Amino acid sequence: MAEIAHTAHSQALSRRSPWGELFRKEDWWAIWIGLGLIGVAVALFAGGSSIKWIAVAPQKWSHLSDVTQQLKQHGLQYAALFLLWAVAFGIGAAALGIKISRFLPAFLLVYLAAGVLYFLGQWDQAAHYNLEPPLVALGIGLLVSNTLGVPRWLDPGMRVEFYIKTGIVLLGAGLPLTLIAWAGPVAIVQAAIVSLATFGAIYFAAIGLGLDRRLAATLGTGGAVCGVSGAIAVGGAVGAKKEQVSIAISLVVVWAIVMIFVLPLVSRALGLSTGVAGAWIGTSEFADAAGLAAAQTYGGYAGSVPGIAGTPDAAVSAFTLMKVIGRDVWIGVWAFVLSLIATTRWERTGVQNKSSAAEIWNRFPKFVLGFLVASAVLTLVTRGFDYAAYKKEVVPALVAPLQAFRTWAFTFAFLSIGLTTRIREFASIGARPFYAFTIGVVVNVILGFVLSTQVFSGFWNRLGQ
Amino acid sequence: MRQTVSASCGGCKHFQNAAEQVEAALPGLSSLSSAYAAVRCDDGICAVHERYIAASSVCPAFEEGYAFA
Repeated sequence: MAEIAHTAHSQALSRRSPWGELFRKEDWWAIWIGLGLIGVAVALFAGGSSIKWIAVAPQKWSHLSDVTQQLKQHGLQYAALFLLWAVAFGIGAAALGIKISRFLPAFLLVYLAAGVLYFLGQWDQAAHYNLEPPLVALGIGLLVSNTLGVPRWLDPGMRVEFYIKTGIVLLGAGLPLTLIAWAGPVAIVQAAIVSLATFGAIYFAAIGLGLDRRLAATLGTGGAVCGVSGAIAVGGAVGAKKEQVSIAISLVVVWAIVMIFVLPLVSRALGLSTGVAGAWIGTSEFADAAGLAAAQTYGGYAGSVPGIAGTPDAAVSAFTLMKVIGRDVWIGVWAFVLSLIATTRWERTGVQNKSSAAEIWNRFPKFVLGFLVASAVLTLVTRGFDYAAYKKEVVPALVAPLQAFRTWAFTFAFLSIGLTTRIREFASIGARPFYAFTIGVVVNVILGFVLSTQVFSGFWNRLGQ
Repeated sequence: MRQTVSASCGGCKHFQNAAEQVEAALPGLSSLSSAYAAVRCDDGICAVHERYIAASSVCPAFEEGYAFA
């Protein structure tokens, strides 16, 4: 308790500095870490070298002896990579107020478990047995946390959002700025249609079922915009009851986890291309980490499952464009508008909120800026190369190592989702919030499917080519 | 009666918004989001009203505590 009080006081002090925001929010630390790695990689590339030695990643294998051989050959690199991540995330965690002595032991276990999963994904029979690393990470994590239990001392190392945001910044290095400019407007249009319809469905269903407006708005934003992050942003902006925010969180997490398994499964059964499936997942998943797990799973089918067209990266690229550019960046606007309505139109609560347009920037998911800067940097660095030179020189020395960093960061996150989801601790949801949210899920999934596979299918298919 | 900025909930002793406190009070939050995220701003939990509110909010039950605002 004294520790929490100390943290609170430290945050109070840092709040006084206008620059404090840059060091006390994980969005900014994801930017510093992601862009820092990209900066070093680009500098080494420009000097004729590469960061690939430390960006070690498991290679395809058939027998366990191959794994042993890889570990013998690259053991030092894996140790160095652990040190790199431990220092980067450790500094970030310490700045956020997480004790480094608590973070490091937990992160060591996360790193080791992620390594096992990364290796598993490289098994040449993994696809045959449906052992996609994101799903295996999630499944094992859920099983362990809800049966054996996960000791609390591991919590500081399981920072899902910190890892996923860092991975998204690194992902920017794999998406040309021109592609974002080309695809962004379509993503925004598709996301706007689905977000408005989903929010409306949940909100009016909730009101119709007699639920409080603040709960309706919190549920609606959780389902329509950016999952748990949307729920807490709007919950705070409208002054929802604590248990209402808890209900929204529980519903989003449960449905998001269901969708991690369902969306790739249905997409696979329908033989959707990776670009189309990624767009559908980006439209109909509720949280970035959950959606990336689903999209990366589906991308893994390309080339290994007959009938799945498109490149592996297209699923993750389409997802990111749809979810991050199309939906996440608007959370501040949703929070501001709903805060204004709550302040001026809804019943009073005893707490008076101060609605302000500053909310739009204050709640903006800043890591998106890192994603865009990463994209711009790589676009600039690689613009002088023709396609052949890009494939021969840029990919192995610069793009592939950054992709390996990204895969590590995502694997840390996927593993942490399952391990931190303790279902028995969730708030009791109640039937009416469940019905209201589920109506929104149905609207969201159907509309997202129609827009991704019919209305804009040509567009998303081209993304995967 | 007009309340000043310094009397906002962020400076109230009933307001809990340290990230660890928020994550402990809202189970599942850290599974797919985070109390350290920019979208949360400085929102926290009011122990008097049992509400999740913005630090810039105001209410008559204000009692000076940590000065956030």
